[in-house]
Amino acid sequence: MNIQFKKGALELCVLALLNKQDHYGYELVKKISDQIAISEGSVYPLLRRLKKEEYFTTYLQESQEGPSRKYYQLTDKGKEYLHDLLKEWQYFSEGVNHIIKEGVSNE
Amino acid sequence: MNKKEFITSLDTRLQKLTKEERQDILQDFNEHFDIGKEEGKTEEEIAHSLGSPSQIEKELLASYYVEKVESTSSAGNVLKAVWAVIGLSFFNLVIVLGPFIALVSVIVAGWVAGASFVLSPLLFLINLAVFPGTFEFFDMFFSVTLCGLGLLVVIGMLYVTRFATKGLIRYLNYNVNLVKGGMKS
Repeated sequence: MNIQFKKGALELCVLALLNKQDHYGYELVKKISDQIAISEGSVYPLLRRLKKEEYFTTYLQESQEGPSRKYYQLTDKGKEYLHDLLKEWQYFSEGVNHIIKEGVSNE
Repeated sequence: MNKKEFITSLDTRLQKLTKEERQDILQDFNEHFDIGKEEGKTEEEIAHSLGSPSQIEKELLASYYVEKVESTSSAGNVLKAVWAVIGLSFFNLVIVLGPFIALVSVIVAGWVAGASFVLSPLLFLINLAVFPGTFEFFDMFFSVTLCGLGLLVVIGMLYVTRFATKGLIRYLNYNVNLVKGGMKS
């Protein structure tokens, strides 16, 4: 399960962010790395992989400041996948929290 | 490392990919650098937080090889994919190489057994040619039976090999996805 946990963490973050609104790559990286220590470069291979799995599509959009940006948009398939991951994640974290509570409160 | 060094390094590492795919990837990183600079970061800072081009290369190539093996699963492609996934981390070395070696040995053993069964009448004939006085009906029928059995084994192995290849590909895919998930260790 902890393998699932590591795998899921970044994927889950990306999908959860895109669930609310479309984002471009830099924005996604920034939002994640503000909260968790990641090597930012790993997000891009992940994005490519998830796009090939058809969990989201991309489109280019001009920005006021400079060059056009590649936005990522969650597909229905991606939303389904997100819900599966969320369920797994909640199940997992509830279990861990439960054990921690028991272990630490008994000390 | 500045932007140019980072992009050039990644570019040379990704020569195996098609030109369009490589340009697409580099475009993503170009965009990342450009936006970062707009926000007032230096190229060095951005490159540092991106991590090493070699790790990014490994992650990209691993999915590339696994994809390739999904479209054409030749022995060479399977080997390349296995190596690429193993190269991702020590963790993968342990959980991929072991099962892979076990799987390959079982398959090789099956094929060798099947082939030798099929060829056993030939051995019987060679034996007869070398020692003409030793003809035995039992040996002859036994080798013919073995030959038939061997044909069944070979047919079975065809299915087993195909099935095992599919399973291996799924396992590799799963591995590419769980590799540390980009977490800093």
